[in-house]
Amino acid sequence: MPGQMKILEYDVLVIGGGIAGGESALNLANLGYNVLLVEKELSIGGKMILLSKVFPTLDCGACITTPKISEIARHPNITIFTGAEIRIITKKGEHLFEAIVSQNPRYVNIDDCTGCQLCEEACPVSVIDEYQYGLVGRKAAYIPFSIASPRAAAIDIENCTLCGACERVCPTQCIDFTQTVEEFLVKVKSVVVATGFELFDPLKIPRYGYDKFKNVTTAMHMERQLSPTRPFNSILRPGDGKLPDNIAYVLCAGSRDKSVGNPICSQVCCMYSIKQAQLLMGALPMADVTIYYLHIRAFGKGFNEFYAQSQDMGVEFIKGKIGKITEKENGNLILRYEDIEKGKVTEAEHDMVVLSIGLLPNQGISDVFDNETLQLDPFHFVDQSDILASPAKTSIEGVFVAGTASGPMDIPDSILSGGAASAETTSYLRRAAL
Amino acid sequence: MEVEKGKTAKYLKAKRPVPKDVTEQLKSFTKSKKLLLNTLMESEKTVPQLAEELKLPGDEVLFQLMTLLKYGLVETGEIDDMDEYFYYKIKSNGKDKS
Repeated sequence: MPGQMKILEYDVLVIGGGIAGGESALNLANLGYNVLLVEKELSIGGKMILLSKVFPTLDCGACITTPKISEIARHPNITIFTGAEIRIITKKGEHLFEAIVSQNPRYVNIDDCTGCQLCEEACPVSVIDEYQYGLVGRKAAYIPFSIASPRAAAIDIENCTLCGACERVCPTQCIDFTQTVEEFLVKVKSVVVATGFELFDPLKIPRYGYDKFKNVTTAMHMERQLSPTRPFNSILRPGDGKLPDNIAYVLCAGSRDKSVGNPICSQVCCMYSIKQAQLLMGALPMADVTIYYLHIRAFGKGFNEFYAQSQDMGVEFIKGKIGKITEKENGNLILRYEDIEKGKVTEAEHDMVVLSIGLLPNQGISDVFDNETLQLDPFHFVDQSDILASPAKTSIEGVFVAGTASGPMDIPDSILSGGAASAETTSYLRRAAL
Repeated sequence: MEVEKGKTAKYLKAKRPVPKDVTEQLKSFTKSKKLLLNTLMESEKTVPQLAEELKLPGDEVLFQLMTLLKYGLVETGEIDDMDEYFYYKIKSNGKDKS
C-alpha cells in the first residue's frame, strides 16, 4: 500500500538500463539532475553488452559499453535499481509523476558481495543460462555474466534447492534468503522510456525448422559464439559440436514479413549479418559464408564500404528468398530458395544456418501509465508524436522516449536518440524551474 | 526475529518447500554430469562419440559438455584428423565443488 511504502524523490525516472537509457541518464546526471535508473534485468547494459563487435568499425562491443556502464554506475547523481520493475505511473500534475517501483529480491547484499564466485562453485544446481541464450548452463547462485554491472551474485530462487551451500562458502556472508520484494513510491518530474526491443521468435516461421533442426540457429546465438565471453571453446554448430565450414545466413527472418506480423525492416540485420560473416571468416579461415538476402540495406556511414569489404573477403551474396529448409541425416541443411537474379528455384547445402532475426517492440510499457495514454505506433513501438521537430516527445507531456523503444535502430542511432531524449527532458525540466 | 547471518536458507525453507521439479532437475543434472565425466574418464572423446556411447542426442551432449567446460570440470583436447570435431577430456586439476 502506498502509505507504507518508502518514498523516494528524483528529477527523472529512466526506465531501461540499456545503451539508450544509460546515455540519457548519464547526460541528465552530468547536468546536475538526480536520476533513478530502473532496469528489470540483473545488470545494466542491455543487449549491447552481450554483443561481440559492432559494425562497421568492428570495435569490441564490451570495450565500448563497459566504460560507459561503469561511468553510469559510479555517477553520484544516478541511483540504479536492477532486477526492478515499474508497476504503475500516475501523472499527478505538471512536472509531477508518481511511480510504484518493485525491487525484486536478489537474495544477495550487493554492497557486500565481492564477486568472488565461490557461491557459484559451491552451488549444485545447473539450469539454462539465459544470458548465453540457452547455449550452456549456469548455477542457481550466479553472477549473470563476467562484465555484468553490478558484478555481484544473485540467487535464482525459482531454481534454488535452498541447500545453503552458497551461504556456507560466502566469505562476506552477503547472501540473505530473508530478502523480500520491496516497493517504493517514486516522485519524479519527468520520465524517459528506454525499454528497448525484443527479438523475433523464429518458431513463428516453421518452414525454417528452428528448434526442429538443431543446426538452424539465430544471429543472437552466433553473436554469443563470436563474443570473447563465448559459451563454447570455439565456433561450433549446436547440433553436434562440429566446426562449421559452410554457413548460411537467412536475412529478413521475421522482418518485412506481414505474414508474421512484422512488416517493417529491422534496420540492423543486414549489417550485423555482414559483420558476423566477416568475424566468422576470421575465426574459421577455411569456412564459406553465404548470405541469402532480399535487399542489402547498407544505409549508414561506412556501411556500404563494409558490405564491399565482406565481398572482397569472399562472403557470397545470393539474392534469394528461402522457401524451405530441410535436414539431411548428417545434420547438414538443404535450403530451397528462389534465386531472384537467375529467376529459378534451386537448392543449396550448408552445415549450419543462421537466421538473421528481426527486432520487435518490447510491449507492456504503455500499460503502466494509469491516467494517461502512452500512444503506440501501428507497429506497437512508442509513438513519436512530433518525429521531425521533437523526436523524443511522446503523447504524454513530460514522458520522453529513447532508443529502440521507438523503433528499430542501430547502436549509434540509439545513443543519439538517448542524447535527444536527455536534451528534451532537460528543456522540459528547465521550463518547470522558470 | 534475529536472523542468523550465513544460515538464512533455513528461514525461507521453513516458509515454503522446495518445488519437486527443482529437485528433479538437480537429480537429472547430477546424473548426466556423472555419466559424461565417467565416460570421459575412460578416454577423451568428441561430441558424436559421446552421443553414440550415451545414446543421447548430439545437441544435448554438447549443452551438457559445454556446461561442464564452463564449470571447469572438462577441458578441450586436440581436433580430430578431419578437422571437424574437438576431443574433450577431464580437466586434470578440475575440482567439483558442488
